[in-house]
Amino acid sequence: MAKREIPEINAGSMADIAFLLLIFFLVTTTMDKDQAYLRSIPKKVEVPPDTDIKVEQRNIFAIRANSNNELMVRKELMQNPDDISERVIEFYTKNEKVNDPSNDFPMYSRISMSEIESQLAAAESAAEEVENTPGASNDIIDFKWRQVTEWENKKKALKLYGKDKLPEIHFQAHVRIEVQQATEYKLFAKIQSELEEAIYQLRDAAALDVFGESYNVISRRYSMDKDPKDKDKMDLLKILYPDKFIEVTPKK
Amino acid sequence: MSKFRKEGKKGAPGVNTSSLPDIVFMLLFFFMVATTSKESDPTVKVVQPKGVRTTDMTPYKQRSEIDFLYLGKPLNAARAAKYKEMGMEYLLFMDNVAQSTPDDLYNVNAIRRWKLDKFDSKPARMSEPIESVITCVKADEGAPTGMIFDIRKELQEIDALTIAYAVRDNGNI
Repeated sequence: MAKREIPEINAGSMADIAFLLLIFFLVTTTMDKDQAYLRSIPKKVEVPPDTDIKVEQRNIFAIRANSNNELMVRKELMQNPDDISERVIEFYTKNEKVNDPSNDFPMYSRISMSEIESQLAAAESAAEEVENTPGASNDIIDFKWRQVTEWENKKKALKLYGKDKLPEIHFQAHVRIEVQQATEYKLFAKIQSELEEAIYQLRDAAALDVFGESYNVISRRYSMDKDPKDKDKMDLLKILYPDKFIEVTPKK
Repeated sequence: MSKFRKEGKKGAPGVNTSSLPDIVFMLLFFFMVATTSKESDPTVKVVQPKGVRTTDMTPYKQRSEIDFLYLGKPLNAARAAKYKEMGMEYLLFMDNVAQSTPDDLYNVNAIRRWKLDKFDSKPARMSEPIESVITCVKADEGAPTGMIFDIRKELQEIDALTIAYAVRDNGNI
């Protein structure tokens, strides 16, 4: 008698099982991406400072939107919100090449490598001195060391920039968004979108100029492989065009 | 001797379906890779405004470093009418509870509690410091921005310092 063959398992219902799984995944998942603007909320201040910090008008780029969804940019009414990004770019670049005290835009400082190095040395010695002082609070020591890292970052940035001087916008220069309770979210999102577009264009131009690469390419590559070289590039672009956005809480 | 034997009448042969599971499995794997699981089904209607140059939240979602809040009108028409009468057109939706307004919530600190609960329920190895766990607000086009600032204030109280304003990406114009 011939050897009896093992009967094959009937796989006819495999397709049904796979279909079942497929339909389950189709129902419980979504295809649409979640896109958003990331912002950080300032830390809560326990004790408000008693002295008002003076900020020059030229360093403020105020965008106001009222409850009728009307826009005001730097004290001028604006009909079309699409124009915000151009105005922001103007705000950042007006004095970038040459400081002109007569206009109403933030000043730039341009520091050379030797200045950075002397500042770095001064910051380091100040930090060490505070650390060796008995009774110095940790906050002050942290603050001093943060300053040292700041100068170190600038040194690294200028090295990467490859030019004589590092242009830096005034540290107080910022964009301020002031909305009212009833302002529609649509307009608020539009303002955020325009700001993001402006910063992107500025950084993209600088990235093409310095690295010959698009900002998009660098940031995407950085988010994928976390290359420290790309991080340095991103840091330099951040120093050149900082995204300081302040969102003012509307009054009740 | 003839090799070709005539047999009896035969019907059309059946289509071979043995590769059907393979095809379906391929589709299955495609969908498993290309999609992300739904967070929740909000009971409020959210039409997101458009924007450009957005950040993609998917990597954060995969690392569960993100919590979603929804802000919109209730889907249920009867409920919408009822709330509108009370002067609350837009509702806040957190997971499976639709609450009235942030003002109501403040009494019981619901946003704070919700965020802290979410934070505690994350597995320890995934847990980022609470400052960097993103809260993503998906708000309707017409929602009043004041409500978003109310949410912001609540998050500030518990040091959850990263917020994301959701929009629909307009592509690169």
